[in-house]
Amino acid sequence: MKEYDAVVIGGGPAGMAAADVLGDHVKTLILDENDMLGGQLVKQTHKFFGDHVHYASTRGFEIANKFIDKIEKKPVDILTSSTVIGIYPQNTVAYVRNGHEDQVKYKKLIIATGAMERQLPFINSDLPGVYGAGAVQTLMNQYGIFPGKRFLIIGSGNIGLILAYQLAQTGVEVRAIVEALDKIGGYEVHANKAKRLGIPILLKHTIVKAIGDESVQGAIIAEVDDKFNVIAGTEKEIVVDTICISVGLMPITELTEQAKCKIAYIPELGGYVPVRDERMRTTNPDVFVAGDLSSIEEATTAMIEGKLAAMQIVEDVKKIDLEKEISNEIKTLAIFRSGPKSLKIRSGLEKMGIVTPRIEMPKFSPLPNSENGKLHAVIECTEEIPCNSCESACKFDAIKVGENINTPPVFDPLKCTGCAVCVTVCPGLAIFMEKSDESPNATLGIPYEFLPLPKSNEKMWGMDRDGNYVCDLTVKRVVKNPNKTYIVYVDLPKEFVDVVRHVTYPRKENPFVCRCEEITVDQIEKVIDSGITDFEEIKRITRVTMGPCGGKNCKMIILGIISKKTGIPISKLSHGTSRPPVKVVEFSAFLRGDKK
Amino acid sequence: MEGRILDHPILNFTRKKRVKIFFEGNEIEAYEGETVAVALHAAGIKVLRYTPINGRSAGLFCAVGKCSSCLMEIDGMPNVRSCMTKVKAGMQIRRQHEKGDLV
Ligand SMILES: Cc1cc2nc3c(=O)[nH]c(=O)nc-3n(C[C@H](O)[C@H](O)[C@H](O)COP(=O)(O)OP(=O)(O)OC[C@H]3O[C@@H](n4cnc5c(N)ncnc54)[C@H](O)[C@@H]3O)c2cc1C
Ligand code: FES
Repeated sequence: MKEYDAVVIGGGPAGMAAADVLGDHVKTLILDENDMLGGQLVKQTHKFFGDHVHYASTRGFEIANKFIDKIEKKPVDILTSSTVIGIYPQNTVAYVRNGHEDQVKYKKLIIATGAMERQLPFINSDLPGVYGAGAVQTLMNQYGIFPGKRFLIIGSGNIGLILAYQLAQTGVEVRAIVEALDKIGGYEVHANKAKRLGIPILLKHTIVKAIGDESVQGAIIAEVDDKFNVIAGTEKEIVVDTICISVGLMPITELTEQAKCKIAYIPELGGYVPVRDERMRTTNPDVFVAGDLSSIEEATTAMIEGKLAAMQIVEDVKKIDLEKEISNEIKTLAIFRSGPKSLKIRSGLEKMGIVTPRIEMPKFSPLPNSENGKLHAVIECTEEIPCNSCESACKFDAIKVGENINTPPVFDPLKCTGCAVCVTVCPGLAIFMEKSDESPNATLGIPYEFLPLPKSNEKMWGMDRDGNYVCDLTVKRVVKNPNKTYIVYVDLPKEFVDVVRHVTYPRKENPFVCRCEEITVDQIEKVIDSGITDFEEIKRITRVTMGPCGGKNCKMIILGIISKKTGIPISKLSHGTSRPPVKVVEFSAFLRGDKK
Repeated sequence: MEGRILDHPILNFTRKKRVKIFFEGNEIEAYEGETVAVALHAAGIKVLRYTPINGRSAGLFCAVGKCSSCLMEIDGMPNVRSCMTKVKAGMQIRRQHEKGDLV
């Protein structure tokens, strides 16, 4: 039987990072059941967060390719299409390849088999058309198959949010993302990418039932109370043919159990997880774990854990002193985990006796946003997440994140030269370009990853952060970029430069300008065409701005339409009279004396 | 919108050689390197089997070989995970009923 110094099971980011280190020092084998290494990365088309050491701002499948290239150049034996079926006594791994069982022996073992998607029981959840989010990604991104036409996504964690965006990129319709909690689970920037496409994220909602005879034809969703019970009477039906479940992942510990490692139930880390120390060694001194199997986290932390385990194995087997490198990796891990989004992980690890040192987050004071008429970046990344790709990309030192990668970027407009490199690297697509001067029109640059690619002089619609129509605009130019995040520069009325965050081709249906009174752009334009151009008068005729929102939503849009039709700049238009109350108030509030 | 994605803003899908496979006796389009479940999906076929106890329709769930929801009868062999089995020229694929007949 063949014997290796180190055997790695699982070729995701954790396993590949481990094999990369091991290959330099010891005789190594890596096994994966897929026909290529990469794990979760191969079906990810978005750019990853993190730092440049860990391939930040590189698309998932490209990270996998880069890693594979690196490992293939090293003396590492790679066995793909090889499913490990068990760990036997005397350090033996059994696997099946091409229908045949085979065995190898190891001195040290790293198990990095990742996680499995959680199920969600609801009526008819077994109908064809109800899929795990990963299955939809496999069909769509790995094999290039449309998994359906109309989608409902359950769960607003990063996976659900990313899936919604990826589906929209193929041109299919995502009807909604439902989330039982009262807040979005994933990163704000991922949520924003979906929202500006007009995909609603329904908080405090769940799926009650899938509808269909042979396969999914619809779903019933409903609101839930604080205890996640469905509130009777809030059920509504939506027409979808595919329901994607993305309610979290859980580690699969079977192999670690067979390797006689102790398992503990720690919900913060994902459920049952192998007990291990800071250097990823389990209770069996010859067995290490890394990645999602040890705690459900990210590709970056998975890679660092893989490296840590590998370095410890090199120390064990070769007696080479790697203490300095190991403590560096432990520190990097602590920095990645120091943000608020890692609170759960930190407390979970504490239960295992691993304390993550607190790393202070330096607070930079925001710099004044000087509007100097030059093209400059606008960064909309305010949440503390582990990413500094914009800082690394900016050659002019205009963006600062600092040592703690979780610190939101601080931007210095005076140093910005308008090169827009940050727009193309930002994994959250949260950076835009703006130029606004004396003229009534401004320039806005929007990151764009859709087909067809707009062309210069084309007329498009400007959409706001929630995917609502704002104004018509004209494409000035499109800047292509090798990483396929293109920038569409548009010319639009200056008032909307901070409002528009996405562009789309005009749809045939007529957009609503006033959602309270349900008035469309068409209706407003007809009144203006009839010769009435005064805001107050349009208001009286159509009732726009007279609904419960008091015009907060639509006033600017209507002024924009008047300005466009008449050629009078908004600053020169009268914008009507504001009357109390400015917010919705009950009539009873105005009653004096005894309350009747 | 069934079928194969032709243009994608990020990915390039290059399809390998066309192979002939048969679902319930009828030829469907498939390309080398695809799994059986993928080729069936591209053809709009989502029901892959009927369950043993209640006879309910079932299809893909995980697409990565973990859940066994996609078991089919392939070339006479029952209980094959169609999401992990690559297409081969001449393959005969059938929906599995109940637990599949052991030959
Ligand atoms: C939609 C989505 C978006 C994500 N976005 C990001 C992001 O932007 N940034 C980020 O940092 N992270 C992101 N992640 C998370 C990241 O992908 C995972 O945390 C990471 O892949 C975990 O790595 P891993 O090596 O532990 O496991 P995996 O990548 O899951 O790899 C495990 C490997 O083990 C193999 N395996 C399992 N069992 C066996 C067996 N018995 N025999 C042989 N092989 C086996 C599997 O085939 C697989 O290849 C995302 C995840 C998803 C699903
Ligand atoms: S769909 Fe889960 S095993 Fe095939």
